[in-house]
Amino acid sequence: MPLLINREVVADNWSLLNEESFAPEATLSSGDIIVPYALYLEHKARLAEHDGQIALQVNGDDDLTELLENLDQFPMIAIDFPIFRDGRGFSIARILVRAGYKGEIRATGDIGRDRLAYMERCGFTAIQVADDQFKPEMLDAFGEISNFYQSATDNIRAVYHQ
Amino acid sequence: MYQYNEVDQQLVNERVEQYRDQTRRYLAGELSEDDFLALRLMNGLYVQRHAPMLRVAGPYGMYNSTQLRKLAHIARTYDKGYAHFTTRTNIQFNWPKLEEVPDILAELASVQMHAIQTSGNCIRNTTTDQFAGVIADEIEDPRPYCEIIRQWSSLHPEFAYLPRKFKIAVSASPTDRAATQVHDIGLHIVKNEAGEVGFEVLVGGGLGRTPVIGKQIRPFLAKEDLLSYLEAIVRVYNLNGRRDNKYKARIKILVQTMGIDQFRELVDAEWEQIRDTDLKLPSTEIDRVKTFFTPFEYDQTAKDDTTLEQKLVEDDAFRTWYERNTVNHKVAGYRITYISLKPYLKPAGDVTDQQLDLIADLADKYSFGEIRATHNQNLVLADVKNSDLYAVWQILTDANLARPNIGTLTDMTVCPGGDFCALANAKTLGIADQINRKFEDMDYVYDLGDLKLNMSGCINACSHHHVGHIGILGVDKKGEDWYQITLGGDDGSNAALGKVMGKSVASDEVADTLQKVIEVYVENRFENERFIDTFQRIGMAPFKEYVYAPAN
Repeated sequence: MPLLINREVVADNWSLLNEESFAPEATLSSGDIIVPYALYLEHKARLAEHDGQIALQVNGDDDLTELLENLDQFPMIAIDFPIFRDGRGFSIARILVRAGYKGEIRATGDIGRDRLAYMERCGFTAIQVADDQFKPEMLDAFGEISNFYQSATDNIRAVYHQ
Repeated sequence: MYQYNEVDQQLVNERVEQYRDQTRRYLAGELSEDDFLALRLMNGLYVQRHAPMLRVAGPYGMYNSTQLRKLAHIARTYDKGYAHFTTRTNIQFNWPKLEEVPDILAELASVQMHAIQTSGNCIRNTTTDQFAGVIADEIEDPRPYCEIIRQWSSLHPEFAYLPRKFKIAVSASPTDRAATQVHDIGLHIVKNEAGEVGFEVLVGGGLGRTPVIGKQIRPFLAKEDLLSYLEAIVRVYNLNGRRDNKYKARIKILVQTMGIDQFRELVDAEWEQIRDTDLKLPSTEIDRVKTFFTPFEYDQTAKDDTTLEQKLVEDDAFRTWYERNTVNHKVAGYRITYISLKPYLKPAGDVTDQQLDLIADLADKYSFGEIRATHNQNLVLADVKNSDLYAVWQILTDANLARPNIGTLTDMTVCPGGDFCALANAKTLGIADQINRKFEDMDYVYDLGDLKLNMSGCINACSHHHVGHIGILGVDKKGEDWYQITLGGDDGSNAALGKVMGKSVASDEVADTLQKVIEVYVENRFENERFIDTFQRIGMAPFKEYVYAPAN
């Protein structure tokens, strides 16, 4: 799946785990893994032996209170957009940044072209686009609107402070 | 009125090009129907029963004459020669061609207009009092704050995919003319005990399937905290509002379920984190935006006019119009003047291209070039000199825009209904005609006094039937149009939701049923008592009893 960082397609060394990855008979894939938060909480012991880096994937249904206290344990937090209409991830990204998180904030799930610029403004530093949704011209979407009224998580200040 | 600077202009220009490219990709088959749907909704384009419908933003109801002429041009060139004003003070075109919409948006951008966020699950056009800035009883002109909210909410990167649409209204008078209590957020400009001006904040009001009156979340909010507090509310809503059922996704359901106190706690906790960020509004910014809304240079000699008095004595028809369709201006010698978009047997809120041009000319000549739209689908020329009223009335009369019915039963608020709207369960326009025919005798209508009648063609309640003194809701019964009648609603300062009178009536019985309701009112009213006041005094029972009495 194409991964966009700094408005460019880059190589992605992370693999996203799911419920099946944790089946009793399965062996955890090696290397850097992204683990959905609920599975992470459930399989903490097993993950403790993992030899690569561990990142979390969260969504709007997760209670993030505890995680917000321990953000620096994770090199990346992926925020999932389970369906196109679900905009909770935009707020979650802003809350992570506000909490001082310095790692990668990655968008996963249903990512449409027109949301890329909004994601960037809300603090996402990486955007993972499904193969069937990706077109190279998507990268143009970032620059279509070049000025904004309100501050967000990027360095743009509200229009009345400019 | 606010004028775009380079930032505003560049933003709408870029938005046009962005949408042009999206349309091109859709027509070339590169964008799926679903993907394009989300994008066109962000630009106010719905697909309706017969054709696409484009909704253009009228920020807090303000238009200038140049914009009206452009809208007339668009109606003529790209549509069928007319447009429709909505209850959000926006304007809709019912027949644009999908492939021409980018050109229409470019035309709009050339006169500082756009269709951004007029649909979709985002923060919609903020509405306010149509008398803002010209009415004596307001604490402060609400429009600068509406403009500040417009800017903050436009293309807000975090709030483009809320659980559901989100509407804000601002009022600055003891008399609420902006229906603030039935908005997702209602802001009342108030003075606190220290004499400072700020906002009382209501949250969780709304109509639709589950009508709710908004609840106070904060009795007083300082001006500088306006944006941080709004952002805190919308963020809490974005994170916690229901997304599993679109009928339970509005903020009113969240506030109801959680309770206002717990909701307030969440908002306050969020607000604490952001109130000292750059969301804090500098007073310099408030002052800057205020400069766009400073009072006009009124003619101090206007009050010396004697011709008006004379015309009022001479011409009964003019006097009737003057009494019904004009309102006291805060400056002596001027009147706030309604343009009725409720002519006899024509759809409420519709205007032709010729009427738009004519209104633009009137505004230029008699009212500083500005026009306001009301949430009851009429227009207002806010600053007409007493000495000009007769001429304005004559011109409006010739253009079928002077029906003297503002605030009366025939000043109905009506959605386009089943004739146009894909969501509607029943037609509304024919019923409005039926009512107009029944209540054709204007003297009778005047005698009934202020009476707010709202009719929606479906439960989405675009015409706010829950808050009409009399509400009519079209329902579908086995493929036939039936109409449910509610009584006792109010969208003013004493906001109330109407109660269902009884079983719905067939389409050919609506006007007759209304007649019976009116008879009960006339029978029971005290002198000069409005319908809504009589209803509140005597309750539903006498109405129900008489209307549903078996024929004998």
